[in-house]
Amino acid sequence: MAALVLPAGVLVLLLLVAPMLLLFRISLNEFSPTQMMVEATTAANYFRAVQDPYYRQVLVTTLAVATGSTLLTLGLGFPTAYWLARMQGRWKSFATIVVMFPLLVGNVVRAAGWLALLGNGGAINAALLGLGVNAAPLPLLYNTGAVVAGIVAVVLPYMILTLSAVIEGIPRQAEEAASNLGASPLTVFRRVVLPLALPGVIAGSVLVFVLCMNTYASAVLLGGPQFKMMAPAVYDQFVRGNNWPFGAALAFILLGFTLVLTVVGSAVLGRCYRR
Amino acid sequence: MIISRRATLGGAAIAAASAGLPGLARAQSKQVVVGTWGGDYGELLRQNIDTPLMQPQGIEVLQDVANADPRKTKLLAERQARRGTMGVACLSDTDMHMMSSQDALDTLDMSRLKRAGSILPALRKPYAIPHIYSALVLLYNPDKVTTAPTSFADMWDPKYRGRVGFSDILYSTNTFAAAMAGGGSFGDYTPARNKLMELRSLDAKIYPSNEALAAALKGEEVWMTPMWLARGYMWQKAGIPLRHVVPKEGAYAIVFEAAVPRNSRNKDNAYAYLDAMLQPQAQTAFADRMGYLPTVTDASLPPEIAKQISLSEADQAQLKAPDYEYLQRSHGEILDFWNKQFKG
Repeated sequence: MAALVLPAGVLVLLLLVAPMLLLFRISLNEFSPTQMMVEATTAANYFRAVQDPYYRQVLVTTLAVATGSTLLTLGLGFPTAYWLARMQGRWKSFATIVVMFPLLVGNVVRAAGWLALLGNGGAINAALLGLGVNAAPLPLLYNTGAVVAGIVAVVLPYMILTLSAVIEGIPRQAEEAASNLGASPLTVFRRVVLPLALPGVIAGSVLVFVLCMNTYASAVLLGGPQFKMMAPAVYDQFVRGNNWPFGAALAFILLGFTLVLTVVGSAVLGRCYRR
Repeated sequence: MIISRRATLGGAAIAAASAGLPGLARAQSKQVVVGTWGGDYGELLRQNIDTPLMQPQGIEVLQDVANADPRKTKLLAERQARRGTMGVACLSDTDMHMMSSQDALDTLDMSRLKRAGSILPALRKPYAIPHIYSALVLLYNPDKVTTAPTSFADMWDPKYRGRVGFSDILYSTNTFAAAMAGGGSFGDYTPARNKLMELRSLDAKIYPSNEALAAALKGEEVWMTPMWLARGYMWQKAGIPLRHVVPKEGAYAIVFEAAVPRNSRNKDNAYAYLDAMLQPQAQTAFADRMGYLPTVTDASLPPEIAKQISLSEADQAQLKAPDYEYLQRSHGEILDFWNKQFKG
């Protein structure tokens, strides 16, 4: 049976672990504007990233946007997932496809749609100006709100499908029994559905949080040039600055934070679940 | 006769191999991969070089389309490889100098270029051919900026608060404009720091791309920007109300160049491509559509286009290439300041 893991294992080893090790080695090198990279073994790039208030702010923005987007996705996704899980008959397949629809469109194409909707000459502003509601276009684009809206639209299907698979496994009778014993719908949700759906909440939130932390296209296209998250900052160092060692260090800091927060978050929620 | 499944598969494999191998050999000897920008530039290469000049030679041109930064990263990443993916790489002069100093490019053998003799002497380099060039100017909207500006320093006039726009991708030349307005030079951008922060307090706007900036100029959201004269010409042609002035602080030249990476797979085809880029008819087409000036002595421009995209003799005389060494040394600092302080 263990041999079944071999093809995937080898692929991961070759295409993920090996480049990661190489990247880690690069992160310990020194940057030189004339030679690009000088072989060294120094943690200076990590210290610089942690000490520089700019990158600390980029990390804080990334964490805030990822956490906010995850919570918003959970809030929006749970009712839809519940409705989808309890749906019967042929409409269920149709609804599942509708939920998955955003995944069929590429990130960049979707962001281009948002640009056409939210831009100064976009559909919303054109309508508001046309109706005389506003004299000047509203700044709907190039701010945190636009980025969060863009991210939530991308990750919502992951949350809904994960939650819905778990909620389907919760027996309907458990909710009915609670109602029969006099529990209000809110109490049924709080005391029965939510605790039983918690593995789905954890899995969905972890998945969504990881995707949000690594957001690139939405941050660049909808956030504009003055909005910075970690993934675009990593790209900037590699591609615009040609500073591969510092870019690699930033990438590992992003990876480290995502990993630690995911593990700690899952453990805390898991403990609540066991109680 | 019984034909087994194994025999059938074997026969099919041999047939496929014998059919495919000559094709593969032909593809390798008669192809050139050109690392270039997409959009108008890529399209004009296709229309004026790939099809009319390379196809008759039996050389197929494949475009590897990307922006300059990813292309630079690719050249650097492939430096050690025996066989690179690009046969010809197109970049701006500053970027090309950086790639050359990183040992990513061949020194050109000018005797292999039939058109080498017609290159404008000021634009000759050992590692690249110049394809087209233009100058950094100040573009302004004449309906809003009624007194024509004369220098980069006019962007700091408080009456234009919130009306100066920048393209984020041109951070280096934007910093140059600020440096010159603050008394700096081609080899010293330090005065840009204070000037950019002043402009920030004057609510200068930053747009993510040249196209976004063009939309803002068209919508009259902003009225002034430092930009390539050629871009200004294209935008004027597209109906955006614009005029240009060569700032009195200095005329900064941009040359778009093409070079052969050291590990280019087929150098004969690459040289043939560089030669085609220097043909007068191809050069004139870029001038007509994109407003870039020819880099060869024998390309003639229609007078009405020449009037719009050429520099006066006085401006031409003070046209200067950037200080490549300085830019290479300070590129990181310039980008950091732009990102962290000005945009931050």
